[in-house]
Amino acid sequence: MNREEEIVSRLCGAFPFLTDRICVRQKNRIFTDPITREEFEQIIPFVHDQLGFYRACHVVGTDDGDSIGLLYIFSDQDSILLALRESVPKSDPQAKSICNLYPSIILHEREIIDLFGVMVKGLPNGPHYPLPDGWPEGNYPMRKDWDPKKFNKQTMKYEQSGEAKENG
Amino acid sequence: MSSPGRQRKMAEINNNQIEFPIGPQHPSLDEPGCFDITLEGEKVVNAVVGVGYNHRGLEKTCESRTYVQDLYIIERVCGICSHAHSSAFCMGIEELSGVQIPPRAEYIRVIIAELERLHSHLLWLGVACHEVGFDTMFMFTWRNREKVLDILATMGGNRVNYGVNTIGGVRRDLDPASIDMLQKTLDTLEKEIKYYANLAKTETTLISRLAGVGKLSKEDVLKYGAVGPVARASGVRDDIRVIEPYGAYKEIPVHMITDDHADVFGRTVVRILEMQESINIIRFCIQNIPDGPIAVKVPRRIPAGEVIIRVEAPRGEDIHYIRSNGTDIPDRVRVRAPTEANWHGMTHMLTGEYLADVPITIAAIDPCYSCTDRAIRVSSGRDVEVMDWRTLRRYGIDFYRKKGIDLSTLAVGR
Repeated sequence: MNREEEIVSRLCGAFPFLTDRICVRQKNRIFTDPITREEFEQIIPFVHDQLGFYRACHVVGTDDGDSIGLLYIFSDQDSILLALRESVPKSDPQAKSICNLYPSIILHEREIIDLFGVMVKGLPNGPHYPLPDGWPEGNYPMRKDWDPKKFNKQTMKYEQSGEAKENG
Repeated sequence: MSSPGRQRKMAEINNNQIEFPIGPQHPSLDEPGCFDITLEGEKVVNAVVGVGYNHRGLEKTCESRTYVQDLYIIERVCGICSHAHSSAFCMGIEELSGVQIPPRAEYIRVIIAELERLHSHLLWLGVACHEVGFDTMFMFTWRNREKVLDILATMGGNRVNYGVNTIGGVRRDLDPASIDMLQKTLDTLEKEIKYYANLAKTETTLISRLAGVGKLSKEDVLKYGAVGPVARASGVRDDIRVIEPYGAYKEIPVHMITDDHADVFGRTVVRILEMQESINIIRFCIQNIPDGPIAVKVPRRIPAGEVIIRVEAPRGEDIHYIRSNGTDIPDRVRVRAPTEANWHGMTHMLTGEYLADVPITIAAIDPCYSCTDRAIRVSSGRDVEVMDWRTLRRYGIDFYRKKGIDLSTLAVGR
């Protein structure tokens, strides 16, 4: 059994709900199918304490239609990357920060708030990132339905109908 | 959405503590970042990092353009590690397509990557020396960097954003004249780098200015997820070329440079020694580069899937996530540049330092600068004219003279 298979086996042993929902998709890369917020919160301490994934490299936001996918990528000191995909509904986009275990994720989780409109709770106070001051509420540019052509850079307003005139 | 980090008072005094912002525009910073520093006397007691002033929406742009168009956008994520970004992006698409690129292309990618590391580290060394008032060294290292940029311009057609990579291989082959120029430059650089390595270890003023500054222990590197030379200078073995070799690095011996000083001095030593290692790698590539084609065709439509690629950029681990949907336009592209990972430990590195050490501590993670590209093609109407250096300089002087500024009296030698 190689290292990837061992990690998958240990995860499935500890969390039976992951069976058939986790796979090695490319060499050294373990992906999960979308899992719920509750399932994600159960797995994280195990990944940190038992599996030795000491670093959260990244969280990638994806617009999956009715839901937002949060692909958390963890690395160990070898070459394995573990990608856990948390799925939150667009109707109630809420997630809980993992920065208590992984301080290196703070900037990336702030980005998810600004660009995808997912309210990530539990982050420490600090400047938002990366959108500018005065960015209008309810505009989440990385969602698929947000069209940059409809955003007027002069007035900082999103024109629901048609193309913005001042598009600089 | 609140923005406490950006809408603030100029300075605030509370209980003998002064809180003030450094940036986003500041003489000691080379790019727009804002650091809210709290001082007690000369000592920093807290620091809040504010970044995001240079967000350009490149990932959103990528979602509306084809993979080939995106390659040119991705290459412009950073002027210094442009090749690292384009390599990661190409590798991701090649993996999704199931394409194996020719061995010669793999070697050319490595040669350009190591030249990029050389110019990035030389640039950093110059900036670091400038930040601590050692401007002679700044001049020396940037003079050497010009030699590397000259090779890159010869081999890639440009000083930065070389455009060597393409999906399925590389766009430019190596010719004997370029290899000859490369070998001669490497010989010169090797002597200079040995001198720098000796200088860094023996020059007491430099050592006393860098040693003990910006401490980040091995445990803190693991906690805050620092990457690249910052991590290696704290004894963490983190070099993607070694722990997860990709492309031609699978065949090339790479000696990982680490150090245990865990401070700015350690980061300096690691970068200088890595330059020697880059020279060794390039020489190995020149001696062992296989013959053959330099690119293969890749279908325009990329099969649906997702991929995570990481490469070792000059500043550390660079991660690209690409999700394809079966069309010729990606569904999602995400770039995690190494500097993004190194910001998290910055508050810890700055806290407890003297105010005078703030600029070098920030510079020591090698935050990503925008390197201005010097164009050599000037287009006016339909005519495109290729200029040499002297003609370009004359063009610039005439351009400003028309605006009422006469630069011709300035003596600029080359």
